[in-house]
Amino acid sequence: MEDLQQLRQKNLETIFYPKSVAIVGTNKVKGTVPHDILDSILKADFNGIVYPVSPREKSIKGIKAYKYVVDVPDDIDLAILVFPSSVCHMALEQCGQKGIKSVIIISAGYKEVGEAGLKREQQLVAIARKYDMSFIGPNCLGVINTVPETNLNASFAREMPEQGNIGFLSQSGALCTAVLDYASAKHIGFSKFISFGNKADISEIDILYYLMNDEETKVILMYLEEVSDGKALMKAARDVIEKSGKPILIIKSGRTDEGASAAASHTGSLTGKDEICDAAFEQAGIIRCNNIEEMFNKAIAFAYQPPPKSEKIAIITNAGGPGVLTTDAAISTGLKLAKFSEETTSILKKALPATANINNPVDVIGDARSDRYLAAINAAFDDADVAGVFVILTPQSMTDIDTIAADVARIAEGQSKPIYTSFMGQKDVASGIDILQTHKIPHYILPESMCTAFQVVYHFNQNVKTKVRHLSALDNIQVELARKLMDKVHANGRSYIPEVETIEVLETYGLPVPQGKLASTADEAVKIAEEIGYPVVLKVVSDDIIHKSEVKGVELNLGSAKEVKDAWERIHSNVKKAMPDASITGLYVIRMIKGSEEIILGIKRDPSFGPVLMFGLGGIFVEIFKDVSFGVAPLSRDEAMHMLEQTRAFKILKGTRGRNPRDMDSIVDALLRLGQLAVDFPEIEELDINPLFVLDKGQGSVIGDARMILTKTV
Amino acid sequence: MEKNEILTQVKDVVSNVLKVDSSEITDDSNFIFDLGADSMQSVELVAGFEEAFDIEMDQDRALEVQSIQDAVNFIAEYV
Repeated sequence: MEDLQQLRQKNLETIFYPKSVAIVGTNKVKGTVPHDILDSILKADFNGIVYPVSPREKSIKGIKAYKYVVDVPDDIDLAILVFPSSVCHMALEQCGQKGIKSVIIISAGYKEVGEAGLKREQQLVAIARKYDMSFIGPNCLGVINTVPETNLNASFAREMPEQGNIGFLSQSGALCTAVLDYASAKHIGFSKFISFGNKADISEIDILYYLMNDEETKVILMYLEEVSDGKALMKAARDVIEKSGKPILIIKSGRTDEGASAAASHTGSLTGKDEICDAAFEQAGIIRCNNIEEMFNKAIAFAYQPPPKSEKIAIITNAGGPGVLTTDAAISTGLKLAKFSEETTSILKKALPATANINNPVDVIGDARSDRYLAAINAAFDDADVAGVFVILTPQSMTDIDTIAADVARIAEGQSKPIYTSFMGQKDVASGIDILQTHKIPHYILPESMCTAFQVVYHFNQNVKTKVRHLSALDNIQVELARKLMDKVHANGRSYIPEVETIEVLETYGLPVPQGKLASTADEAVKIAEEIGYPVVLKVVSDDIIHKSEVKGVELNLGSAKEVKDAWERIHSNVKKAMPDASITGLYVIRMIKGSEEIILGIKRDPSFGPVLMFGLGGIFVEIFKDVSFGVAPLSRDEAMHMLEQTRAFKILKGTRGRNPRDMDSIVDALLRLGQLAVDFPEIEELDINPLFVLDKGQGSVIGDARMILTKTV
Repeated sequence: MEKNEILTQVKDVVSNVLKVDSSEITDDSNFIFDLGADSMQSVELVAGFEEAFDIEMDQDRALEVQSIQDAVNFIAEYV
C-alpha cells in the first residue's frame, strides 16, 4: 500500500508538470468535451508538446493527430482520456503499452451510473495496476496548473484561472466551473485546481499529500460529497497541518441524516453522521465551511495576508454606524478592540479633524479622503497593541474610493500585520473593490464575514497549527480478560448486551463501575445490600428489556432489608404486567449514589470515521436538549477535555451558583478508556453509559447504568 | 447467409456510414476506438445494418454492438 501511495505521488507530479500531453479520443467538433479539452490546453499556452490522438482525424487545429497513442513517436508524460466509457479501457491499455504513467480520465459513465459502470471502473483500476499507472477520475472536469512554466489547463472549464496560492480540489466537476467563475470575478488565483471525480485510483487523500509538499500552494480547499475513509482523511489533514502548516478548508455536503432516530441506544439516536463529521473535522484541524462564499472569505484571509499575532484589531471607518456594526461583529466573534497608546491617539489627534473619533473604532468622518485614511491606518499599524486593521468605507460624495483602495493596497505591502477591508455598498464601490481584489487585499461585503475570517486565521495559527497531540498510555487495562468476557457475551449471536455484563467488560478497562452484584433471590439481594451498604438501588436484569424504567424495573434509595424485599416483589410484579414474556435473569443490587451530576457517555461506530465517542449532560431529557459533543477515538487528553468544553454542561460541571465543581478529570479519564475499548473491540457498535454519576472534584465518578450493542454474528 | 457474406456487407455499411476507407476496417475494428464513430453515427450504423440486411434489430442490444465482429455475430441471429 505504501508503494502505491508513493507511486501516486510520483505520477501526480507528472500530472501537474508534464512536458508532453496526449489528448486521447479528441475530435474537431467544437462544444464537445473531447474537442474543448484540447482547445483549453492550447488556449492556456501550455509549455510543452501536445499530441492529439483521434481515430479519424489526420490533424486538429493544425497539429498532426495520431490514430492511436502508441503511434506517437515520442515519449508522453500525461494522457488525457476523453473517449466514451465503453472504450476508455482500450485507450488506457494502450497508454500502459506506451509507457505513460500519468493519466486523467475525463469520461463519465462509471460508478455513478450503477453496477455496469462500476465494473468498467474496476477494469480501469486493474489496467492501471498492471502498468504502474495512476489516474485522476473518471467522471471529472480535469486538472489545472497555473504555474507559468507549465500553464496546463487540462480541463473543460471555460477559462484558465489566475495564478495564486490556493489549491482547490473537488469531487464535483460542475461545482469546479462555478468556483472558477466565482473566483475569476474576485481575482482569486489558484496554484492547482483538481476535479477528482469518482476517485477510482488517485483520491483526495493522495492529492492532499501532494499539495502538502507543493511549494505553490499555501491554502487547501476541498469540496467533498462523501467521506469514504474518514480515518485516512483525518490522518492526512493532521499530517498536512503539522508538516506544512497549511490550512485545509472543506465543504462537505449532505448535512441531513435520516437514520439516527431508529437507533436503540441514546448514543445512537443522538449521533447523526453530520455531527460526527463536524467533530472529526475539528479534531483533525480541518476548517469546515457551509458554502463557497464562506470558504473563499476565509481562504483569502489565509492566502493574502500575514496571520494576526493576537485578537486585537483596529477599526478605521468613515461612518459611525458601520463602525458600531463592525465592533459588534468583532466582539461576538471573540475579537477585541486594541487599546491605542497615548502616542497613537496623539498622532490621530493631529491628523484628523476635531470631530473625528480618535479612539478605536477610529471615525475619520464622512468627508474623509485618502489622506485621513492613510494617516489613521499608519498610526494603527504602528501601535503595538494592534494585531490587524479593518478598513471600513461607505461611499459619500467626496470619498475618493479608488484612491483609498489603491493606498490601502500600497500601505499593506510588506506589512507584518494583516489588513482587511469592507467597502460597503455595491455600484459606487465596485471599482474600489476591484482594485483591492486585484492587489490581494481581502475584501468582505459584511463586517461579520471579515471578523469571522480574522478569527479563523488567528485560531488556526495560534491553536491548531501548533497543537501537539499526545495519546496517553492508560494503566489498569486488562485486554485479555476483556476479550474473554466479550467472547462470552457475544456468544450465540447476541447483539444487545444488558447492564451487568456490559459493566463487567467496562471494569476490565478501568472504568469506574458501581459497587454491586446480581441477585437471584430477595434474600440474596438483602445480603448484597448489607455488604455494600445502604441505600441501594435494585434494577431488573433481562436480555428482553432494553428500557428498564419503562417497565418500572428500577427502585431507588432503598434503606433497609424490608425495603429491598418489598422492592423485589414490586419489580417482579411490574415486569410481569408490562412484559409477561420477558425472561428475568435477576435483579442488580448497587450502591445508591447521591450528590452527583448525571452525564451520558457513549460509543458509536461510524462506517467512515470508526469509533466515535459522545459526551453530554445525562438524565431523562438528554434527547430533548441534545447538549452533546463528539470525538473520534482514540482521543488525546486535550481532545477529551475539549469535548466537555463544547457543551453547556461544562459550566454546570465547573460549578455554578453555589454548586460544587465536579470531577471533570474522571470524565476525561472515562472517555479515554472508552475510546481505547472501542478501538480494541471493533465488534462494539454502540455503548451507552447513562448515567455516569460525577461526584465533586477529586471524588471520581461512578457508572449508574450501561449497555452495549455488538455487531450481529451469523 | 454465410458469415463471410455478412462480414463483407457489414464492412460496406460501416465504410459508408462512418466515411472510412474500407482498407482501414479490419474484422476486429471497434467502431469508436478504431474508427472514431460518435453517438449519432452509432445510431446510423444500426439503421444502416437494418436496411442492408432487411431486418429489424432490438435497438438496445444493437447499440451495445461495438465492433465489426460483434455486428456480424449479432446480425447472424436475424438472417
